[in-house]
Amino acid sequence: MKDALAALFGAAFTVAACYALGSVAAARLRLPLRRQEKFPLAFLLGAACLHLAIFAILALKIAYTPVLIAALAIPIVWAAWTGDWRLPPGKGAPSRSLFDWAVLLLFGGIALWYTVLYLSNAWAPEFSPDGSGYHLGLVARYLRAHGFERVETNFYSSLSEGVEMLFLPAFAIGKHSAAALVHFAFLIALALAMLAYGKRIEKPWAGAAGALLVYLTPVVGIDGTSAYNDVAAAGIAFGVFYLLELWELQQEPRILIAIGLLAGYSYAAKYTAAVIAIYALGLVAWKARRLKPVIAVAACAALMALPWVIKNWIYFQNPIAPFANGIFRNPYITPDFERGWTSYLANYGLKTRWELIPEVMWRGSITAGILGVALFALPLGFLALRWRPGRRLLIPGALFLAAYFGNVGTRFLIPSLPFLTLALALALEPLLPVLVLLVAFHAWLSWPPQVRRHSPDAWTLQHAQFRAALRRVSQDQFLSRFWEYHQAHMIEKYVPEGGRVLAFGNLPDAYTSREIIVSFQGALNTRLADMMNIGWAESFQPTRVLVFSFPERGLRRVRILQTARVSNVEEQWSVHEVRFAHAKQELPRRGEWRLRAFPNPWDVQMAFDNSEATRWRSYENARPGMYIDVDFGREEIVDQVRLETSQDDPDVRLRLEAMDEHGNWTTLADHAKVEPMKYDGSLRLAATHELHLRGVDYVFVRDSDWGASEYSGLPQSWGLKRIAHDWGATLYRIAPEGSIEESKR
Amino acid sequence: MKWIAIAGAALALCGCQNMPEPYAPPVQRQRFENFQPYRVNRVLNMADPDARDHFVQDIADKLEGTWRWTAQRPTVSLTPASNQHLLYSIEFTIPKVTFQETGPVTISFYVNDHLLERKFYPEAGHYVFEKPVPPEWVPLDKPSILAAEIDKVLAPKDEDRKYGFVLVKLGFAE
Repeated sequence: MKDALAALFGAAFTVAACYALGSVAAARLRLPLRRQEKFPLAFLLGAACLHLAIFAILALKIAYTPVLIAALAIPIVWAAWTGDWRLPPGKGAPSRSLFDWAVLLLFGGIALWYTVLYLSNAWAPEFSPDGSGYHLGLVARYLRAHGFERVETNFYSSLSEGVEMLFLPAFAIGKHSAAALVHFAFLIALALAMLAYGKRIEKPWAGAAGALLVYLTPVVGIDGTSAYNDVAAAGIAFGVFYLLELWELQQEPRILIAIGLLAGYSYAAKYTAAVIAIYALGLVAWKARRLKPVIAVAACAALMALPWVIKNWIYFQNPIAPFANGIFRNPYITPDFERGWTSYLANYGLKTRWELIPEVMWRGSITAGILGVALFALPLGFLALRWRPGRRLLIPGALFLAAYFGNVGTRFLIPSLPFLTLALALALEPLLPVLVLLVAFHAWLSWPPQVRRHSPDAWTLQHAQFRAALRRVSQDQFLSRFWEYHQAHMIEKYVPEGGRVLAFGNLPDAYTSREIIVSFQGALNTRLADMMNIGWAESFQPTRVLVFSFPERGLRRVRILQTARVSNVEEQWSVHEVRFAHAKQELPRRGEWRLRAFPNPWDVQMAFDNSEATRWRSYENARPGMYIDVDFGREEIVDQVRLETSQDDPDVRLRLEAMDEHGNWTTLADHAKVEPMKYDGSLRLAATHELHLRGVDYVFVRDSDWGASEYSGLPQSWGLKRIAHDWGATLYRIAPEGSIEESKR
Repeated sequence: MKWIAIAGAALALCGCQNMPEPYAPPVQRQRFENFQPYRVNRVLNMADPDARDHFVQDIADKLEGTWRWTAQRPTVSLTPASNQHLLYSIEFTIPKVTFQETGPVTISFYVNDHLLERKFYPEAGHYVFEKPVPPEWVPLDKPSILAAEIDKVLAPKDEDRKYGFVLVKLGFAE
């Protein structure tokens, strides 16, 4: 029960601080908020401001619990002191017909029923895939470090983390489910804002129905009760839209400040949500027809967004990491990873976009989560184009829909939903009974047992979790049904503090304090996994030598140039070792040599380290102009250059060039003879040795991982010692250097 | 225009990246003696990223989860690290969809064109077959060809392909 109360308190304290800070800001900006608008809009505005304060605390590396508590308490005291906390007086209740009362009762009952379901799930121990993975894994890591640090082994740390900044103080007090409850508060705020918007435009039933259509949607339910950020992004976007509407009504320049802050916070919350910032700038420019208001919005937005840009610039040498790595080249995220990742996100392996319709509407097994078939009615929202509010809603809705195709996961539709459901509700409002039936139908189909029946593979809530929420079932007991939780525990138990673990799949990082290096989540990770794969996968091993032979001559600087256009986008150029020879004797590699490569200059030493378990890779599609360049620092007599390489870049064509005394490159040999190569050292021992040199002494392999049997079959051939095996996974320790005998035992 | 120019210049400056200075050769690694015995097996899972590099014929390019359709004689090429104590190992399914058309089938298992065994399968279902391979059939340091030939295949008239069985893995085990 103590844990349950801590979670609730952590979340409530954070939410109260957001509301308080937003109330103070709203009062200073004299935002013309009505009673029903005050909580949602003040909460969203306060969330934006508080996120910046937490960012500053992390940047200063003073994220200790007392500091975080002070950061939450100060706004609350401030708002209480000034009285800004209070809600404005409301109007009296309108007179209602019997039908109105019936609809009110129905809508209220549905909302209450789902709120209980959602609250119990958000309050229960958190175990959503990304929530217990990187969202809270990074929060926990920042808390351990008391501030930001470069997490080069997890590219997710380069995404903006505006919502996670609010998870952080909640997590510090109430751990994982406190963060999920904070996200749930965004869902409540979104629904209340939509409700208030309906009242503002004098279409209260449309507002209520639109809000419910979003609130009840299965993917919104599971996302909004997990430590994710999609629902928060939707709330922020709707908040921007709402404030823009108020600005248009009131033409009060101070509102532009709030618009800018919230628009910038949309970028800070989620890159894709920044669509609303574009909409805001466009609308302000269109309506004001002056530059000054646009600059005001842009400047306030920059205040919220720029810290994330700068953080990425400092930590990842790329202001918009993890994207554009081909422009902002850096050693942390490879262009090849970005290409593969973004192309996967654009289709999730589906062959056509038409397949998305059954996926997101009722199947949800690939794109994770469903909207529910009742939302097939959304196109009727176009009928709302007849009215100004309908037109206004459909523009941001369409913008978010367009952005959706960058990541077709169902939850990436959430930011567009408030706009689209409100448009639909507006269109159907003249036929109120139809609208009521649609809401009731959606409520019935979205209830977890119904969803499980029709969409058994969808990511969705299972049922209410009262016992788990109140910790009548302990967290351990509740989470024991998830095998990943046991695997994280295994790592926590067997890997000493500060230990680093190479893994080949995601783990719930938030439940272990050890650093998990997932094979695809960073350039270093990819390099480590590549070394291990070279240990057993034939096509990655050095099995051929490309030999450039030429009459002996004195050379000072040489480069190997890639000349082919390679159509297979996955084909990279790679080289295990480059060796220079004269009279069949290899030139010793002197410290005066200077090595360069393009692209990926950071790994060039891996082609000159005498280890066949490492290789330089271009980490982008092979194309003409790529090179490896060696400056000997003095003239060396050379008659042969040998490139030891694998079979996985068959279309690469190379030319050997030397630099003449005028600094021009001249061809030494325009093709290489291919010879077979058989390496008789141990690639496996060499691979684990390289891991050890990089501070990685543990390898975690699931039985289903690629190559799992190669590790389990004879771990001693790798210098690995099996230290635990459970829940379908094995944890190995790399035997300390020189103690291979130990691993044999 | 001035603001756009400033923003453009700022963006261009972002592109002026901190490319590293040239590197000196690193500490040279020592060779690790090959630890013997390596596990000699090489079972090709159809879902392995490099699986297609080993296909010789009659295995579909398209991966269906963890399996692929075969035609009549799916064949792979593998180089085991030893020829001692090897097992021919195959995991496959005779699906109902083909069985309804072909009825009971016989599958012949080959290593380098040597017939290892011919087995009769009277029912559709999931099967694993393993049998020791005589060492003399497997040359060292050369690829070996493993095949499994089904006697009857499904050949839909409207498709330019044949359906033999569903292959999950094939290779040498210990």
